[in-house]
Amino acid sequence: MRMRRTLYAVPAVAALLLAIPTAALASESVHVKLLELNNTKASGDATLTATDNGDLKISIRSTGLVPNSPHAQHLHGSATGMDFHCPDMSADKNGNGYVSTEEGMPVYGDIFVSLTTKGDTSKASGLAVDRMPTADAKGNLKYDRTIAAADLPEGTIEHLKDLHIVQHGVDANGNGKYDLAGLGESTLAQAAGLSGIPEEATDPATCGMVAGAAVGSVPVGGVGTGDGSTHDRAAVWYGTGGLALLAALAVVVVSRRRSYVLSRAQR
Amino acid sequence: MTRPRTFALVIAALLAIAGAAAIAVGRHEQPAAEPPRSAPPSASTTKSPATKRPETGTDELTRGTLLPTSAPTRVRIPALHVDEPVTGLGQNPDGSMQVPTDARTVGWYTEAPTPGSLGPAVLAGHVNYHGTDGTFARLSTLHPGDQVEVTRQDGVTAVFAITRVDRYAKDRFPADAVYGAIDHAGLRLITCGGDFDDRTGHYVDNIVAYAELRTAVGRSRAGRSQPARSAAAA
Repeated sequence: MRMRRTLYAVPAVAALLLAIPTAALASESVHVKLLELNNTKASGDATLTATDNGDLKISIRSTGLVPNSPHAQHLHGSATGMDFHCPDMSADKNGNGYVSTEEGMPVYGDIFVSLTTKGDTSKASGLAVDRMPTADAKGNLKYDRTIAAADLPEGTIEHLKDLHIVQHGVDANGNGKYDLAGLGESTLAQAAGLSGIPEEATDPATCGMVAGAAVGSVPVGGVGTGDGSTHDRAAVWYGTGGLALLAALAVVVVSRRRSYVLSRAQR
Repeated sequence: MTRPRTFALVIAALLAIAGAAAIAVGRHEQPAAEPPRSAPPSASTTKSPATKRPETGTDELTRGTLLPTSAPTRVRIPALHVDEPVTGLGQNPDGSMQVPTDARTVGWYTEAPTPGSLGPAVLAGHVNYHGTDGTFARLSTLHPGDQVEVTRQDGVTAVFAITRVDRYAKDRFPADAVYGAIDHAGLRLITCGGDFDDRTGHYVDNIVAYAELRTAVGRSRAGRSQPARSAAAA
């Protein structure tokens, strides 16, 4: 199976290399708008930039999150063309007023990349809250990391625009922290073999959808598309034409004057 | 008496005809008319979404048809009688954009989205190069609505419509407007314009034609029609 996929890939890669001599991949910058989920009033902006060498630069700025608390965050979706999107409240199947991670996943897809602050970024680090970014005392979260090409799942860069960012961590009972009193224990964490993790810590707070895209590496200054080699051509023709007309006039004038002089001498 | 005079008149007539012809050629060779130098437009960046979260969760933050990523192979601009192959362009060591190495070929800036996918795709072509007019010599004469067709490796042809043609001083090039984030599949065609500075050997201005994806035509290699992902709310 794997072998067959490789065999298919060879001609595809060869065709790509033949057609575009200088680069195989488009480097671009995808802008993601993080919108509140579960009525958290949290929101943010993220930029995913594919670099020349296939690395992925991630920048996230969010506000309104549970202060002084870690927020698990991931790229959700898949590189196999599934049409995932951000859920609305109708995804709350158990009707507790919150779309849980399990309820959201059929809509926004499984964890594709864990956006940890350091170390592993695979799905296995999905609940590694000790390596997840923490919101400050005002609920602002700032995250910047570049994940090396080798650490990204296959197809990440090609499918950047198909992925979604989800940030987790809500405060259902409004006491400014995650606790079991809010929504009970996290069934997601339980399923992963972790006990005592509040549901508040794992329920999604924001979901980000692609809102735009930009050039990945902005060139400096203007573009040198011309050497002026035909710019003055018109002026040269105009000059030549003007000189020829002047010469014609001169010949007429001189010949008339000469004929005038000659006729006088003859007389 | 009459003979030298007739001879002179013939010479004068020939000179006059040659002069008129030269001026006619000059009119023909005149650089294409250009729009006035524009102030950088307000960056048409990502539209801020409605303050209230939309009820349905599809990609309603973008607009228009969006194609998957696929590199361009050929560009056709019927209004300019342009039909040329596309080559890849990177950056020069000083960070400026590379340009094609001949007058005809059009360059696609590879560190940007591919034509037809979300974001601004960038194509650059010469206005003139090594003594011949370039493919984009008359880019400045494009009008809003004129079509630009870009054929891609996946066999799909992305059909764009010109929305605006502007001229900018190179030393005040509006990077945000040309290269910045947009919420649709866009295209920027770039060439040179304005005065030519003999001292630097470069044109003073750039002409930028902006376009938006209208439709996608063609079939994938498998022979099935290529589904275009539409962002229109269902």
